[in-house]
Amino acid sequence: MATLQREDSPASPETRDIAFTAVGVKKHYPGVKALDGVDLQGYAGEVLAICGANGAGKSTFAKLLAGVQTPTEGEITVTGYPHPVRDAAEAEQAGVLMMHQEPLIIDDFTVGENVWLYKLRAGRDIRPWATKVDTNDSRTRDVLRGVGLGHLRTNQKAADLGPGQRQMLSLSRAAVTKHKIMILDETTASTSEEHFKDILDLVAREKAAGTSIIFVSHRLNEVFAMCDRIAVLRNGMLVDVLKTSETNPDEITTLMIGQALKALDRPDAVAVTDAEPVVSVRNLYGGTAKGVSFDVNPGEIVGLYGLVGSGRSSVARTITGQKRAVEGTITVRGQEVVLDSPGTALKKGIAYLTEDRRLEGFVKDFDNGENMSLVVLPRMAKAGVVDGKREKKRIRELISEFQVKGGPKTYTSSLSGGNQQKVVVAKWLEADPDFVVLDEPTKGIDVGARSNIYQIIHRVAARGKGVLVVSSEAEELLSLCHRILVMRNGRIVGEFNPDDEGVDTDALIRIALHSDD
Amino acid sequence: MTATAIAPTTSPEQPVQENRGSAVTDWLKSQYALYILVALLLVATITRGSIFWGGTNLTNLLLQMSIIGVVVMAELIVVLTGGIDISVGSTLGLAAVVAAGLFGGPSVLLALVVAVIIGGIVGAVNGWLVAFRGLEPFIVTLGMLALARGLVYAYGNGIPINPKAASSFAQLGQTTVIGIPVLAIIWLAVVGLIAFLLYRTVWGRRVYAIGSNIDAARSSGIPVRTTLWSVYILAGLLVGLGGWIFLARFASGTSTAGNLLELEAIAAVVIGGARLSGGFGKVFGALVGTIIFAVIANLLSLLNVSTFLQDAFRGALILVAVTLATVQFTRRRKASDSTTPAAK
Repeated sequence: MATLQREDSPASPETRDIAFTAVGVKKHYPGVKALDGVDLQGYAGEVLAICGANGAGKSTFAKLLAGVQTPTEGEITVTGYPHPVRDAAEAEQAGVLMMHQEPLIIDDFTVGENVWLYKLRAGRDIRPWATKVDTNDSRTRDVLRGVGLGHLRTNQKAADLGPGQRQMLSLSRAAVTKHKIMILDETTASTSEEHFKDILDLVAREKAAGTSIIFVSHRLNEVFAMCDRIAVLRNGMLVDVLKTSETNPDEITTLMIGQALKALDRPDAVAVTDAEPVVSVRNLYGGTAKGVSFDVNPGEIVGLYGLVGSGRSSVARTITGQKRAVEGTITVRGQEVVLDSPGTALKKGIAYLTEDRRLEGFVKDFDNGENMSLVVLPRMAKAGVVDGKREKKRIRELISEFQVKGGPKTYTSSLSGGNQQKVVVAKWLEADPDFVVLDEPTKGIDVGARSNIYQIIHRVAARGKGVLVVSSEAEELLSLCHRILVMRNGRIVGEFNPDDEGVDTDALIRIALHSDD
Repeated sequence: MTATAIAPTTSPEQPVQENRGSAVTDWLKSQYALYILVALLLVATITRGSIFWGGTNLTNLLLQMSIIGVVVMAELIVVLTGGIDISVGSTLGLAAVVAAGLFGGPSVLLALVVAVIIGGIVGAVNGWLVAFRGLEPFIVTLGMLALARGLVYAYGNGIPINPKAASSFAQLGQTTVIGIPVLAIIWLAVVGLIAFLLYRTVWGRRVYAIGSNIDAARSSGIPVRTTLWSVYILAGLLVGLGGWIFLARFASGTSTAGNLLELEAIAAVVIGGARLSGGFGKVFGALVGTIIFAVIANLLSLLNVSTFLQDAFRGALILVAVTLATVQFTRRRKASDSTTPAAK
């Protein structure tokens, strides 16, 4: 990441054309002011970042601009469109292209058909009886190459793509639609570092074409690599708009959370005695993992780093029973185990915190309490009947222990990513596992909640448990783990001690990419 | 061990402490099925008040409800898992005719055992195919609908089967305890049992979890397959019980027993506010849905509407109620969004 250079600053934005103007925009919900009077302008051919902690209102602003929601007060005018946009259809006509956090992909369509999806839209120039566009032509392939997906076949089903590829596929539509404003709403949340360069290229092209680009994110390294100006929101107010060249990540972080955030110190490793490892994995095959062996000792936080497809998630899922191992042995505290389901893994004291919270992490119709007690409910029951008082009491304790926003009756799905993650963490730690595997534990989580999660991980390790953190962020692992394993092509290709000389982000990325020289 | 300063200012939205009053209002707002029922009762009172509220009619109404009411509970637990069971009507018919005909139908108790076992077997087959073979519940139970109905016709050659103990069945059907028919008491006991299982037990929590998010349930260590199987088996047992109640009410196993019952059962569950995709629904709602259907059928016959038109009325009511349900649902979702709108 550090090696990526920002495109050179454009001419002073004031000399450029205004792409949109937001005047006194407020968005109030009963009891909450999501946005409270924001004035902001975007210029053509400029990348504007909107930063803020979770709940600061940055996504709300993006939604208002894209017409998905309408402001309570104030208005947003797009240059060249006669009146303020009122809904999504108008925003689209005005030339606003929104790239949602969850890519809009139709799984059963081919890659090519997904690129040209907008052709299915109703409209004056798109007749329902028009002949279908050819989605396998060279133009489509060019479009895909432009977002780093040149290796895909255009007639391949979109369902077969990984999360990063899906995001890039949805971004490819920027090349085929007419637009003046492009909003990237947390677009990089599900892509890994390797796709980021493709996104940078895309943004550079769009910029050259005079598009005004809005990048909503809290990943500051990406913001600084991509953007010309940074607008910081806090509690629904616009705190400041700064030129990227005149500020630094620390200043932005301070503006985002209101006060300085001190660096996170890694605790000393719990003295690793010669006690037997919590978990040892030998010659494990399964998914993309090809012969992986490693140990995790009590009190140790081990990091597993690798690019998408390196097999890191396969390892995490196989050693937690989410997926069956094809070959190899897994030993838990000296006892060899066969993990055929998550339930079996749980009985052996293994917990897995998924990378996809919404899909596997929590139940969307359950409130915080029900989600937290989901795993350990049989323990709170007598003969299958839940002890309601005991459950409620324990849930209240957990909510205060893990500092979850909202009460036991708040729906987990209505919380921010960080708080959802806390609920999921609480749910698993309540089962008191010996070995905890966390897959991308801070994905889509802002700075404040991140350090909460790190603290929790530290506490778990301090109690003599084994922890394996799977991540695509080298920096996170370097600051969190006692030992880092790097995977490439299904094998472990390196082991690092973060305290050693010369072990930094670059070293990890280099070995993960296999360009050691 | 860590030095961090997390500004509390990052939490603009704080949960508004709900007082008890607003909880009650919220509850009342979401009980639109109850309002349909009240409206129906008003119509009944205005048009045929004296007959409708008469003792004979009320007993009749309760007996009518107890058959469909038990089946609605079976349908509810299946729908909560995100499945559907359209074979309930046929299975009820099968349980009724076999219980009436096997060994000549010598005793009421034997009939109960037979009916429940038949229902249980059908449920176990449905559930095994759904849970362990991963088939679509709709297709599985569609096949079972035709299979069971075919067996019903074959068993009695289309002729009603009168059990030897027909008189004791008829007697049971007319027995009342403090004015309430025994069959209705059985039905209410089933409602109580299902409510207990769903709200108080680990099993119930698992049913909701599976219906709402099967992947999260699986990865939380919940035995998804066996739980699903048990749901279909329990549903089958209840439908078998429904077949026995049918027998007790009419003292005869007709080949049309339970015909189109699946339609009313699913509709009652949906009108009661359950979501067909699973994970959301209440026993109380399903109970109200049951009563609505019984009242409407009763009212239509009191008003001398032709039987053919009665079906049309019932169908229309389903459409109206389901439309209302979507209106209600979007409103509720907006309300829940607004509690934490800034959270992305």
